[in-house]
Amino acid sequence: MRRVLAGVLGAVLLALTGCGIPANTEVQVDGSGPAVEAGASSFRRDEPPSRTASGDDRELFVRNYLAAAAGEPEQAYPRVKKFIAPENKSRLQEKQGSEIAVNVVRLTEKPVITENANGFFSVRLPVQQIGLLRANGVLGPPVATDKEYRFSLRGAGSPGQDGPAEAGLFVTDPPNVLLLSVDALREYYQTSPVYFWSSDQSRLVPDQRYLPLAVPHERRVSEVVKWLIAGPSEWLSAGVSRLPDRTALINNATETDGRWDVTLDLPGDDSRRLAQIGTQLAWSLPELDGQLQLTTRNQSRVFIDDLKKHRLAHPVYPVNDNPQRYAVYEGAVHPLAFSGEASGPVPLAAEVNRNVVSAGLSRADERVLAALVVDAPGGRRRLVTGSGPDPVQVGNPSAQTFKTIGRPVWLRSPDPRQPYGLVVADGNLWRFDDRGRMEQVPLNVPGPVTAVAASLEGHRIALVVGGALHLAAVNLDGGVVTPGPARRVATSLTELSAVDWAGENTLVLAGTAGRSAVYQVSIDGALETPLVADVGARVTHLSTYPTNPVVRLPSALIMYEANGVAYRYPQGDTIRRDQVLEVTPPPNGVRPGSPTAPFFLF
Amino acid sequence: MTSAPSSLPESPAGWRPAARALGRALTGRVLGLAAGLHQTWRRSLQVRVVTITLVVSSLLVGGFAYLIANKITDILVENAKADTLLRLRSGSDYSAKQFYLYHQPQEAQLQDTIEGTVNYLAGGDPQQTSGVVVAITADSYAGVIETRTSPATDVRPLVSRELRAAVADGKVAHQIRTGRLGDERTKYLVYGSPVPTRFGQLELYYLVPLTRQDATAADARATVLATGLALVLLLGLLAALVTRLVVTPVRVAARTAQRLSAGLLDQRMEVNGEDDLALLAASFNQMATNLQRQILRLEEMSRLQRRFTSDVSHELRTPLTTVRMAADLIFAERDEFDPAVARSAELLQAELDRFEELLTDLLEISRFDAGFAMLDSEPTDLVPVVHRVADRLAGLAERVGVAIELDVPSTPVIAEVDPRRVERVLRNLVGNAVEHGEAKPVLITLGVDRSAVAITVRDHGVGLKPGEEKLVFNRFWRADPSRARQTGGTGLGLSISLEDARLHGGWLEAWGAPGQGAQFRLTLPARAGDRLTTSPLRLVPADAALPFGGPRDGEILAIGPAGGGALAIGPGPAAEAGDRAEVRS
Repeated sequence: MRRVLAGVLGAVLLALTGCGIPANTEVQVDGSGPAVEAGASSFRRDEPPSRTASGDDRELFVRNYLAAAAGEPEQAYPRVKKFIAPENKSRLQEKQGSEIAVNVVRLTEKPVITENANGFFSVRLPVQQIGLLRANGVLGPPVATDKEYRFSLRGAGSPGQDGPAEAGLFVTDPPNVLLLSVDALREYYQTSPVYFWSSDQSRLVPDQRYLPLAVPHERRVSEVVKWLIAGPSEWLSAGVSRLPDRTALINNATETDGRWDVTLDLPGDDSRRLAQIGTQLAWSLPELDGQLQLTTRNQSRVFIDDLKKHRLAHPVYPVNDNPQRYAVYEGAVHPLAFSGEASGPVPLAAEVNRNVVSAGLSRADERVLAALVVDAPGGRRRLVTGSGPDPVQVGNPSAQTFKTIGRPVWLRSPDPRQPYGLVVADGNLWRFDDRGRMEQVPLNVPGPVTAVAASLEGHRIALVVGGALHLAAVNLDGGVVTPGPARRVATSLTELSAVDWAGENTLVLAGTAGRSAVYQVSIDGALETPLVADVGARVTHLSTYPTNPVVRLPSALIMYEANGVAYRYPQGDTIRRDQVLEVTPPPNGVRPGSPTAPFFLF
Repeated sequence: MTSAPSSLPESPAGWRPAARALGRALTGRVLGLAAGLHQTWRRSLQVRVVTITLVVSSLLVGGFAYLIANKITDILVENAKADTLLRLRSGSDYSAKQFYLYHQPQEAQLQDTIEGTVNYLAGGDPQQTSGVVVAITADSYAGVIETRTSPATDVRPLVSRELRAAVADGKVAHQIRTGRLGDERTKYLVYGSPVPTRFGQLELYYLVPLTRQDATAADARATVLATGLALVLLLGLLAALVTRLVVTPVRVAARTAQRLSAGLLDQRMEVNGEDDLALLAASFNQMATNLQRQILRLEEMSRLQRRFTSDVSHELRTPLTTVRMAADLIFAERDEFDPAVARSAELLQAELDRFEELLTDLLEISRFDAGFAMLDSEPTDLVPVVHRVADRLAGLAERVGVAIELDVPSTPVIAEVDPRRVERVLRNLVGNAVEHGEAKPVLITLGVDRSAVAITVRDHGVGLKPGEEKLVFNRFWRADPSRARQTGGTGLGLSISLEDARLHGGWLEAWGAPGQGAQFRLTLPARAGDRLTTSPLRLVPADAALPFGGPRDGEILAIGPAGGGALAIGPGPAAEAGDRAEVRS
C-alpha cells in the first residue's frame, strides 16, 4: 500500500512541478496592431534635378551638377555620383557622417564649355570659394583655394563605352569635392537662424544655418535641436554659451495633435536650463506656433503652451521699435523728419552738440549713450563720449586725437552702467566707454581697419579689414570688450568702404562691383542682393535700422552718405536740408550745407 | 524496484548471468515484500484505514494544490502579459511617431532612429539592464533596415517564425519561449507588435524575462506542496489515532474472547465511560457471565450424574454380594433340586455374573468420568501381553469355533504403557471379534515403528455398516437394538477401551464393511506423552474389498467417461505394476 501512496505522492509532485510557467507556448494573438496609414506621401521633395533632367543641354547639365549635392548631406555623395560616369565614380572619394561637407562656390563667370576632338567636352568653372557647408548646416569659411575647376563631359552613349545607351551627359573626371553653387544654395536650402544664449546668458545670439528643403517638415524640429546641441559656428563660439556637455536629443522630436515633444538627455537636469532651452527653441523654430513640451530623461519638463506668445513674452534681445533718424548738419546733430515717421529732439545738450563730424547714439533703458567725433585742433579729430538721461549733459573727450575717426558704434551691451563702443581710428580698432577712455583692440587679422558695425544683440561685429569683410564675436566677460577670432567672409564686392547690419544674419555692404554699389549680403557671403547698383561715388558712411524678429519690418532701413550727400533706402532719395529739424534757416544768399553722416537712434 | 546492476562485470559474457541473478534476487525480494505488505493489509484494520485516508486525501489535496499553483502561475503570467502589452502599445505608438518622419526605408537617419528608439524603449542606458530586451526588426526590408536590439543581442532564436508571421500580418501577438540571451537559459515572454510607418511596416518586439515570475511560481508551488504534504500527513495521523481509538477495545474484546474460549471464564473486559464501546464491553461481560454460569451449572449437573452412577454402583454392590453368596449356595446345591429349579439356579448364577461385570464396568466408567483414572506407565513388552490375551480367550474361541491367529514380531516390542489397561483393551477387542467372528478366524497383528506401536484385531463376521465404526464406541450401543443382549458384553467395553487408549494419548479406531467383517486398531505412542502422527499398521485391512467392487486382485482402476456425461470407475486394463491403490479412511 505504501507503493500506492508513493505513486500518488509522485503523481502529485509531478503535477505540481508540471504546472509552472511553460517553457514554450503557442503564438497567441492579442488583436490587431496599428495599421499602416495608406497614402501618406504628402511630403515635399525639393530635391535638385536628376542627371537626365537636362537632356543634352550642357550648360544646364553643369548647373544641375553644381546643384546635385543639395539636399540631405548623407545622400549627397550618391546624388552627385549619379552625374559621374560609372567608370570614374571612384574619383570622388566618399566621406561619412559629419565629415560630409559641400564646397559652396560662386561662379565668377559663366562656365566655359569647349568641345574636344574626341567628342568630349571640357568644362572650366571660374569660381570664388564661399565656404564649406557642413552637415550641421553651418556654412563655414572655405578650405579649398581653387580659383577654377575643370572637368570633362561625355554623352551617355559615347563610343567605346559599354552598357546600355542612356540619355544625357556624364562627368568623366570630376573634382574630388562636392560642389554647390550659391544659386543652388539659394534654391534648395532655406536659411534658418538658431539662437544661442550669449556668454552672460542675457540675450539670444542668432547663428545662421542652412536647412535643405528636402528635409521633411516633420524632421525640422529634430534637426534644429541637434544643431543647438552641436553648438554654435566656430567663429561665434567665443561669444555665446553652449548647451551643457553631453546634452543629447533622445530620438526624434515628434508631433502629436499639434504639440511637439522633445526629449532631452540633460546632464544636471536643471529646470532653469531647460526653460532656457525652451526659449532658444521657441526662437529657433519661428514657424511653429503650437505647443512645445521639453522633457528630460528624468521626467522634468517644460511646457510651452503657445510658442507665439512665448516669443512675445521672451524677446531675443531688447529692441526699440521706434527708430529715429538723425544727421549731422553744420557741426551739430539734428533730427530728420520724414512723413509717416516719428522724430524726436536731439538727446544732447547744446554744449555737447558742437563741432560734430559724425555721431553714434544708442538707447539703453532710459539712458542715452552718445559718442561724437568732433574736430580737434590741428585738423585732427577727437572722440567725445557721454551717457545719461535724455539729454546727455556731459561730454568726455578722449585723450587721444586721430587723423581720421570712423563712425562710432555702441555695443548694445546688456549692462547699461558699463557701456562700451567700438570705433575705427587711423586704421585701428578702438574700444571706448562713456567716460572718454579709449583703448586699442587687437585683431588676429592684419591690415588697416576701415569700418566696424555691431549687431543688434551686441555680441557680433562686422569689420572691414584690409578691404575685406570680417566677422567676429564679441565677448563682454569681465567688463572688457574682447573680439574673438575674426572670420573672413568672401564677397563679390571689392574695395569695401562701409558696413552695417541689415538683419540678424545679413549685412549691408558698400563697395565696388565695377561701380560703387550697396549690397545686402548674408553674413557668410553666400547670398547677395544688390540694393543700389550704382551709387555714383564711394560710400563713406552707412547706417541701418536692421530687420529683426522682434519688430517686424519689410526690409532694413538704410541711410548712407556718398560724396557728401546722404541717401536713404529703400526710398532711394537724398536727404534734403529741409528735412533737417531744429535748424535756423540760413541767411539768404548763403548756400546751405547738406546733412551728412545720418544715423538711427534706437 | 529493479535497477541496473551497480557493478560493471569485466566481460560482456559475464554480465548477463550476473544481471539475471540480481534480477531474480530483486524479484524475490520484491515478491516477498509484496506478500508481507499484503498480509499486513489483510490483518491490520488500522493500516487499511490509514492507507485509504492517505491515498484519498493525497488525491484531494494534490488536486487542490495543483489548482492553486496553476492559478498563481496563471495570475503571474497574466500580470506580466498585461504589463508587457501596455509597454508594447506605448512603445509601438512611440516608435510609430519616431518613424513617421521617414518616407523611405533607405533614409540615412532611419537606422539611427531605430537604434535610438530601441534604446529609449529599453530604458535608455544599455548598461543598466532590467533584462528586458527591445528589438525592432524589418522583415519586409531585410536588406535595407537592420534589426536593432537593446541591449545588443541576437534575439532571432527567441522570436519564432510563427510569431513573426502573426506580427507581419498586422497582429499584436505573444508567445513564451525559452532561450539563452545572456548567461543562462531563461523563459521569455516575447511580445510583438507591428509599427506602422509611411513606407510600410516594422515590427517591435519586447522580450521580458520571466525569471521573477518563475521563481515566485516555484515558491508558491513549494509552499502549496509543503502545506499539502503536511495536511496529508496530519490526516494520516488523525486516521491512525481515530482507528486506534476504535480498534484497541475491539482487540481487547478479541483477546478476552480468546481467553474465555480457552477456559478462563473469569476474564472480563474493562468498561470505560458510556459510549458504544463501553456498551460492547458491558454486553460482552454479561455474555461471559451468563456463559460461565451455564457452564458451571452443566458441570455441576454432570458431576451429580456421575456421582449418582458411582454411588448407585457402590450401593448395589453390597446387596449384590449378599445375593451372590445366597445364589452361590443355591447353585452349589442345584443338583439336589428338581431340574426346573436347578435350571433357574443356573440362570440366576449367570445373570449375577453379568450383573457383577456391569457394575464393575460402570464403576470404571464413572472413574473415567470423574477424572480419577490414573495411568500407570512402565516399559512393557507387548508380545507376551498379546499371547496372554489369546491364551485366555482360547477357551471361548474353541467353544464358538473361532481360530485365533497371531501375527507378532519375534522380537520384543517394548512400549511405555500401562500393561493392565492394554491387556483389558485387547481382551475386549479380541472377545468381541471372537463373539462376532461367525466361526471364521480372528487375526491379531502387532506392529511397531520408531514412534508408535499398533495392534489390529481382524474378524470376518457380519462387519459394520457405514457410519457404525464411530457408533461402536458409544455406551450401550447396539447394532440391532431389537436383539436382546444375550451373549457376553455389558455394552461398555469399547467405551472403556476408548478411554484407556485416550488415557495413553493413543488412538482406537474401527473399520468394517457389511459381509467383510471388521478390524479394530489400537495405536499407542512408544514413549508416554509423545504425540502420535502415524500408525505402524493400516486400519483398513489389505483384503478388504472396495465399496464398488474394486479392481480385481493385482489390477488397477480405470476412470473414464460413461454414458450420460457421467464418470465411470471400473477395472482398468491389465496392470503390470504391483502397486495398489490405497484407500485410507
